[in-house]
Amino acid sequence: MNRNIGADSGSLPQRAWLFVMVGVLSAVVLAVAYVQWRQYKLLDTAAHFQNDALGWSFSQLETEQLRLTNEMQRYLADPQHRGVDKVQLRYDIFVSRISLVDHPRAAGIMQDQMAYQPAMAQVRAFIKQADVVLGQPPVEPLSPANAQQLLAHLDALNVPLHDLSLGASHLLYQRATDRNLAVRQQSELGVALTVFQVVLLIALAMVVLRQLRTLTERRINLEALAASLSAARQGAEAANRAKSAFLANMSHEIRTPFHGMLGMMSLLQDSGLAPKQAVYLDTARESAHHLLTILNDILDISQLESGKLQVSPQTVDLLQLVHQVDSLMRAQALAKGLALRVDVAPDVPRWVRADPTRVRQILFNLLSNALKFTSDGEVALLLTNGAPGHIDFAVLDSGIGMDEPTQARLFQRFMQGDERPSRRTSGTGLGLQISRDLARLMGGDIAVHSAPGQGSRFTVSLPLASVGAPALSAADSSQAADAAVVRPLRVLVAEDHAVNRAYLEAVLEKLGHRGRFVTDGHAAVEAVQSQPLAEMFDIVLMDLHMPDMDGFTAARTIRAMAAPRGRVPIVALTADAFQISRELARDAGMEGFLTKPAHLPQLREALQRYGSGVTAFAAADLTLDASAAPLDEPTVLLDMPTIQDVSQALTPRKYSELLGRFLDSRSVVVAELRQAAAVAAHADLRSAAHSLKGASASLGLCAVSAVAQRLQSSTPHAPTHELMQLLDELDTAFERSVAECVRSGLIDATGDATGDAGGDAGGVRPPAARAPA
Amino acid sequence: MDTTRCSRRSWLADAASLACAVACAGALHGAAFAADAPKGPVLLSVTGALTRPNDNGAASFDMAQLAALPQTSFSTTTPWYPQPRKFTGVLVRDLLDAVGSKAGTARAVALNDYRADLPVAELVKNGAMIAYLLDDQPMPVREKGPLVIIFPFSDRPELRNAVQYSRAVWQLRSLELR
Repeated sequence: MNRNIGADSGSLPQRAWLFVMVGVLSAVVLAVAYVQWRQYKLLDTAAHFQNDALGWSFSQLETEQLRLTNEMQRYLADPQHRGVDKVQLRYDIFVSRISLVDHPRAAGIMQDQMAYQPAMAQVRAFIKQADVVLGQPPVEPLSPANAQQLLAHLDALNVPLHDLSLGASHLLYQRATDRNLAVRQQSELGVALTVFQVVLLIALAMVVLRQLRTLTERRINLEALAASLSAARQGAEAANRAKSAFLANMSHEIRTPFHGMLGMMSLLQDSGLAPKQAVYLDTARESAHHLLTILNDILDISQLESGKLQVSPQTVDLLQLVHQVDSLMRAQALAKGLALRVDVAPDVPRWVRADPTRVRQILFNLLSNALKFTSDGEVALLLTNGAPGHIDFAVLDSGIGMDEPTQARLFQRFMQGDERPSRRTSGTGLGLQISRDLARLMGGDIAVHSAPGQGSRFTVSLPLASVGAPALSAADSSQAADAAVVRPLRVLVAEDHAVNRAYLEAVLEKLGHRGRFVTDGHAAVEAVQSQPLAEMFDIVLMDLHMPDMDGFTAARTIRAMAAPRGRVPIVALTADAFQISRELARDAGMEGFLTKPAHLPQLREALQRYGSGVTAFAAADLTLDASAAPLDEPTVLLDMPTIQDVSQALTPRKYSELLGRFLDSRSVVVAELRQAAAVAAHADLRSAAHSLKGASASLGLCAVSAVAQRLQSSTPHAPTHELMQLLDELDTAFERSVAECVRSGLIDATGDATGDAGGDAGGVRPPAARAPA
Repeated sequence: MDTTRCSRRSWLADAASLACAVACAGALHGAAFAADAPKGPVLLSVTGALTRPNDNGAASFDMAQLAALPQTSFSTTTPWYPQPRKFTGVLVRDLLDAVGSKAGTARAVALNDYRADLPVAELVKNGAMIAYLLDDQPMPVREKGPLVIIFPFSDRPELRNAVQYSRAVWQLRSLELR
């Protein structure tokens, strides 16, 4: 840069130099032209006026004077025969010569010759006299007498004319010499000027050359600068990409230990805290949840930025999707005392191609925001047909609203509508940006209309193609599933826990399959053995942990049978997702592997895949639904996605019934566990814990499931007081879950009673629950 | 240049013819020159290589005969007069056409025995004229007459040099064609 500035300041005098040189050069050229013009004029004048001929004219005059003299002498010698006309002609010729030397220019040339003027006067006097007899016309005729007189006069002209002739010759030599000298001087001047011109030209060329070199230098500098800028930009872009990747990785990495932390906090909460401590812990948990939301947002942003996030459209039941959103947001709305209104225009297509996860995410974001910024009134979600092929999702609130500048900033990253230092709301400020990026990724956009104090209206317009209702059960819709029974399968279910059995029964019924239920491995083997070949089971769902004979043994025993009995597809069903369990199940001859809670879609797929007769046993396990909360994450009491899924699969009424029954049996179950712990019957304890874990996970009671998991995995030599402490936790988890279920309307308040024991769970025991400290 | 001069020349020729026709009652015109010997004093005699003589193998011209040839007139400055003067006469080309000559050189001889050998081609090219009128008046011998070979020095600056001035012969008496 400095070099450029230097070149700039240096080029100014250089340019001035250039002008000076061009000016001087022009002046020199003009001077040379002037000299040459002068020379031309000098020569031209000399030529034109025949100045050089003056000498010749004088000598001619002298000659003519002599000829006239001669003629007159001849006339005088013989006046009778010699005619006057010859004298007359000579005289006329003589007179005609006089005008060539007797004029002002000649006088100018001859001014230094003293003899010129008297001689001319003498000549003029002779003419005057001669003209009397030889003029035109003559006054008197020529006679020998006056001829004699004239001849005397003519003779007197001899000497002056000769002197003039000589003088003119000398003068003209002088003039020629002078002129030659002048021409020489001017030529020398011309040469000098030309040399000067050449020197200037060379200097000019050097200046131009230098200028050119400066320009080239500057161009090279600029190119280098451009190259370095380009490199810097590439570096910056690479760094930005690396940062995005790092951010994506880190937020992923952070989430894992974070879940552990949340779990620990949850356990801490259940460990009998003083009220003050509980309040602190609540605050800590809230902060942690908030942090988790931020992390998720950052992960989304970094994925959107690095282009890793992709939408995967599938056939979606829009009504159901809206319903899910509704039921999940309703609790939040109610907690703030707000009304949540959801309206779907009748002409909005029900089945569309969309990425349900992302649409849901956008709606959650907008609705959360609306709830956040509204203190009273209502929040509404309205679905209408927008532009052709578009569906508009409008989220309206009666909240604080925004002015124009705020709206303009709204979709910028890290921006929040409420910028006051003491703002009332919290959040990353990424939510709206993510929502808009997602909407745009799907080919749509988000618009906002708002005014301060008049609420806001966010409209998401998405191009969702309307499609026909899916013919098969591919979609995650209970209605579709109802209609999509391909072929009723005969399913053998080996499951020791009554709740799980009830759940699976309901699911199978819903899917249109026929189930036979046994409670342990022996019974399963027996059922396969005794089933008539014509009515052989299409598939066996095998719980891995059962009393008497576990799933592994049962599977191996069945595989040992002759075909086709020994070939029946077996899908493992278990609450633990350990890799070792999968490998053991495969070793035992089982084809599939389902983790509890086994949601409807997974079950449906497993049944279709393994029960359809086309049993090309894939090594791949059925993948877990990503939305299923890991069992060791007791961050919340209830696993809402599971509950949603299960209640959709079963109908909410059936789910509620099942849940009620399970919760009613809790005191009995806990009492059994306590007894087993008391007598150190570890195998019994672990088996019962395992059952409890699976059942509670299936029903979405994740807090209960988590404690059951810990009970199951406690070492055989664990001290009794530790086990008892865990059982206390289990009690707490149960009670809190019951309260939560009642609060969210999943079961009736009456179900909160310790009530009757569930059917299969055994006899009635006195409640052993201890109230948490 | 040539065309304007040509048109001027033909116009002057017409005017001269007309004047002649009035003066001589149609007795003389250009085509009639060859046969007739000069009646008045001879101003110019052309000798040597020519095909249409009228006077013992030479072509002699009196004033009327010169005036019967195609006429030309122009004004020009000269070294001999301070002012531009008007000259009227016959172009060398027209004169040579009239006498039927294709000579390469013409020796001009003046009354005072001045002689100059003139290349005919250059005379023709430079528009040389044999003038017999100066400012529409005949030229006496005192005024360098009666005939002068003159060039259009004013119209053609390249002619203003000693060689051309030396070819402008005054008091012309005869031309010897070779």
